[in-house]
Amino acid sequence: MSKGYKRKGLESVWDKWGWIFVSLMMAGVILFIFYPIVYSLYLSTFSTRGFLKTFVGFGNYTKLFRDTYFILSLKNILTILVIQVPIMLFLALIFATLLNDPKVKFKAIYRTALFLPAVTSLVAYTVIFRVMFSNDGLVNRVLMTIGLIKEPIRWLLDPFWAKVTLIIALTWRWTGYNMMFYLAGLQNIPIEVYEAAEIDGATKTVQFFKITIPLLKPIILFTTITSTIGTLQLFDEPMNLAAGVVTGSSVGPGNSLLTPSVYIYNVCFKYSPNFGYASALSYIMVIIAAVLAIIQFKVAGEKE
Amino acid sequence: MKKMFVRILVVLLIGLAALLYADKAKITIWAWDPNFNIPIMQEAAARYQKINPDVEFEIVNMAKADVEQKLNTILASGVKTGLPEIVLIEDYNAQKYLQSYPGAFADLTKHFTWSEFAPYKVKLMTLNNKVYGVPFDSGVAGFFYRIDYIEQAGFKPSDLENITWDRFIEIGKVVKQKTGKYMIAADPYDGGLMRILLQSAGSWYFDKSGKPYIANNPVLKEAVRLYKEIKDSGIAKEVSGWNEWVGAFNRGEVAAVVTGVWIIGSIKAEKSQAGKWRVAPVPRMNLKESVNASNLGGSSWYVLQNSKYRDVAIDFLKKIYARDADFYQKILVERGAVGTWLPAQGGSAYKAKDPFFGNQQVFQLFSEWMKKIPPVDFGVYTYEADAAIMSVMPDVYSGKLSIDEALKKAEQQFLNSIK
Repeated sequence: MSKGYKRKGLESVWDKWGWIFVSLMMAGVILFIFYPIVYSLYLSTFSTRGFLKTFVGFGNYTKLFRDTYFILSLKNILTILVIQVPIMLFLALIFATLLNDPKVKFKAIYRTALFLPAVTSLVAYTVIFRVMFSNDGLVNRVLMTIGLIKEPIRWLLDPFWAKVTLIIALTWRWTGYNMMFYLAGLQNIPIEVYEAAEIDGATKTVQFFKITIPLLKPIILFTTITSTIGTLQLFDEPMNLAAGVVTGSSVGPGNSLLTPSVYIYNVCFKYSPNFGYASALSYIMVIIAAVLAIIQFKVAGEKE
Repeated sequence: MKKMFVRILVVLLIGLAALLYADKAKITIWAWDPNFNIPIMQEAAARYQKINPDVEFEIVNMAKADVEQKLNTILASGVKTGLPEIVLIEDYNAQKYLQSYPGAFADLTKHFTWSEFAPYKVKLMTLNNKVYGVPFDSGVAGFFYRIDYIEQAGFKPSDLENITWDRFIEIGKVVKQKTGKYMIAADPYDGGLMRILLQSAGSWYFDKSGKPYIANNPVLKEAVRLYKEIKDSGIAKEVSGWNEWVGAFNRGEVAAVVTGVWIIGSIKAEKSQAGKWRVAPVPRMNLKESVNASNLGGSSWYVLQNSKYRDVAIDFLKKIYARDADFYQKILVERGAVGTWLPAQGGSAYKAKDPFFGNQQVFQLFSEWMKKIPPVDFGVYTYEADAAIMSVMPDVYSGKLSIDEALKKAEQQFLNSIK
């Protein structure tokens, strides 16, 4: 705006009202988002136990590198991330491509069926998975009836299978959700591109890898980043899959389902309440999420 | 206009008077378990309202984790409002709250006669010679078993009295072989049995000064050995979570349940098994300090120091939980709640024979065992220590780590997580 420009009376009034309307929202954002972010950074320099607060500076940040539980929770979450996210996104992509085929009938039914898991409550579906995957639950019975296994699989009682259960549950819940993004993306790819490819003799598989995937790249990147962040924050599923008999002392067999978020919750509410350390853990999680997002941007070669 | 003003004023004054009049003392209570703590507190409240009709109660039912979460956040934030008058706290967590939030809970030392309560309970809520809670239910442990399966396997009830865990496992193997039923249902990664084992020998994850006592604790070592032994022997049906566990004995898949007395309600919920159950003292460990009595769980009532009607709340707890023997009879009969106020245990309900347990005087037995529970200081890090042990258990089960190595690793993990 040049200096000589004079605003008309009415405009500045609109301007003022605009700010007044926005101010409520702004106050809310400052109070409920910015203030906690800043305050938890301050808090992360203290070791707290209830009322008792000791200044430790970077103490909490050096402690977490020695904290075997935190490291274990990171390992758990990275295992799940590396295996579950690619499987889920690939499945979502395939479903989306199939549903996008104009020859498929009853599309709405398939689409609804695939998307329905995404609107179920996290706790409710986890509880049902827990029942289905119990030792004499539905899954083991079906697998034994059709003769795939002889002994029941110890789904929730073995550290390895517990992770497999969690991965299956997550994939069931989130594939449809990601599929919707791809479906929206696919609808923006002109049908002519595929027709041209077909005339050139490209098979469906070639079309999928040479046309669909490259053209969907921005959306794939978006879903990868949101899924990564979602996995890093994983809380409801492990918490409910792992509730113990009496004490719930271990999050999954041998803490195999311990995720950073569950650990942060335990540090605040289950263990001796240390909000300072929990804040430090949260900050590290933010940094990890940011670093992973940057890496994904770089790998995908996006400049923006 | 003037008239109008006067009218409004009169209405307002009446309204104000009504408000003042209606301002009865209101005691808010937070607790969990709508089948146990909540109805018991409602019963207590109804009884107190007969003594003192000017008191209202608001008994809030929340999940246990939610009570802890709310209490922690409100106390830590330092605000003085939003807290109840009375809150239920699990015994394992008592010292953690008392030490983390000094001054938050009312000192009740001079209000009660402490010798009237089970000593092990009072000790849990004592800090610097001041007592901060009102002991409530006991988690005295028992060995519940199915007489039909046990007899089918060729044992008599006397074979199960005052046995060791090793004998328990032997019996379990025979039961498994002869009846095809598992001896118990167990989650191999739950710390409940560990707590029963440790307390039966008067030991815990910490020594008397509160220092971690994990790597060189012979009781803990023996307890871990028993965990592995129970798993290897195949006497346990492996379950995950509360519902599967309760389901296993309700469906008659297991011959025994070893846990706190509070499970009675869940056992008796399966009416078709009436008369088939018996109860024996909990097995002891093969150590000279271990006795056939232990504890799992139990909780107590605490009064918040800064709550509005603190004194009424204390009076309420005093008049009901430390005076009303009839109240204790009623909650025992209706809910299976074994209180820890000793004078109540002379009452008739404690002597009653229970046909569900083949006319055993179940509660009489439990109150006798209760007196033998070795007192233990749970310290402030029980859940951290539990988690440390349970995270090395997979390696113990698979044989990758010896018990000594595993406990050393657990102690190191524990230290790293609290320092």
